[in-house]
Amino acid sequence: MSKLKLASYWGSACGGCDVAILDIHEKIVDLANAADIVFWPIAVDFKYSDLEAYEDGYIDVCLFHGAVRNSENEHIAKLLRQKSKVMVAFGACAITGGIPGLANFKKKEDIFARAYFDTPSTQNKGKVLPTTVLQMPEGEIDIPEFYKDVKCLADVIDVEFYMPGCPPTSEQIWNVVLAIVTGQLPPVGSFVGCEDRALCNTCGRTKTDKKVKKFYRPHEILVDPDSCLLEQGLVCMGPVTRAGCGNQCTGANTPCSGCYGPLSGVVDVGAKFIGALASVVDTDSPEEADKIISDVLDPAGTFYRYALPGSLLRRAK
Amino acid sequence: MEKKGFEPKIIAFLCNWCSYGGADLAGVSRLQYPPNVRIVRVMCSGRVDPTFVFKALSDGADGVMVAG
Ligand code: SF4
Ligand code: SF4
Repeated sequence: MSKLKLASYWGSACGGCDVAILDIHEKIVDLANAADIVFWPIAVDFKYSDLEAYEDGYIDVCLFHGAVRNSENEHIAKLLRQKSKVMVAFGACAITGGIPGLANFKKKEDIFARAYFDTPSTQNKGKVLPTTVLQMPEGEIDIPEFYKDVKCLADVIDVEFYMPGCPPTSEQIWNVVLAIVTGQLPPVGSFVGCEDRALCNTCGRTKTDKKVKKFYRPHEILVDPDSCLLEQGLVCMGPVTRAGCGNQCTGANTPCSGCYGPLSGVVDVGAKFIGALASVVDTDSPEEADKIISDVLDPAGTFYRYALPGSLLRRAK
Repeated sequence: MEKKGFEPKIIAFLCNWCSYGGADLAGVSRLQYPPNVRIVRVMCSGRVDPTFVFKALSDGADGVMVAG
């Protein structure tokens, strides 16, 4: 039997997913024994032309991380889709837009104005903005088009599996690699490398009545290491977040920011979390409730930190 | 859309025991009111998940009312 062919690619991403893959450490050698890596820009020197030259379906599994911010991301996503039998949306950005997806709180014009005119370190007297095609003496240069909003991978291509996390943990990556290599992947459409229950289920903290009189940011209180962080008034997204990370943050006295993404069936993580927060606020007076909730800093950015493009809000209009 | 002739679609989530009862009574009493409101009965307004509100708005409602 020929060796499995694997590809990995970054769209609009920070590179953390690639580092998480490399963080399987010496197991990378086992991976290389079990599979041929046929495309992986961060680690292996293949060019787009190599990818174009592969037959359709040549790649067995492609791990695509990063959101779709520009036309290059979309073009390569489509090309990889054509060349791959199985496509995995890998990491929060590919699944729900991730951190780059927070840009959807602003319009493209606002982002350009900030990036090319307004930042204190920018000098752009001619108010030059990037164009997709530029004529130079040597010929024509084209650069990718910056889209008006950030999209999720599944908005532009069909995806077989979803592997959540920002980034997915190396343990879970290895579990999924083993499942791929031994052909034990679950039904198409499944989330892999995670659990189908909330993070609170795997959290070892003591949970009692959730009655919050005041919300805090982590540096404002001495965090009790044993009791539920939400009960202590920290904005912990555990109730609406998929388990699977091994409770890395809550285990380190830090509230969950929701990187493993919304649970199955949640169509809008922010709305769901508003419901969760409302249920822990301990007051009968609407005015006091308003006051308590107003201590939550940047609610939209906090509740949708990894999932704005994949939510009902989606983008600024 | 022209301002004139604008007919908002309003989704109302009404509690079975009070506001829905009120709407029902309005009907029984033959009180006339504009048909812009589309009522969804819930067993308690506490059942209304913020997701319902977001979903209604993103599916084209112009306003959402929760009563109970
Ligand atoms: S809210 Fe956070 S700290 Fe509390 S049980 Fe859930 S995951 Fe743990
Ligand atoms: S605790 Fe939450 S934010 Fe931290 S790694 Fe787990 S899912 Fe991500």
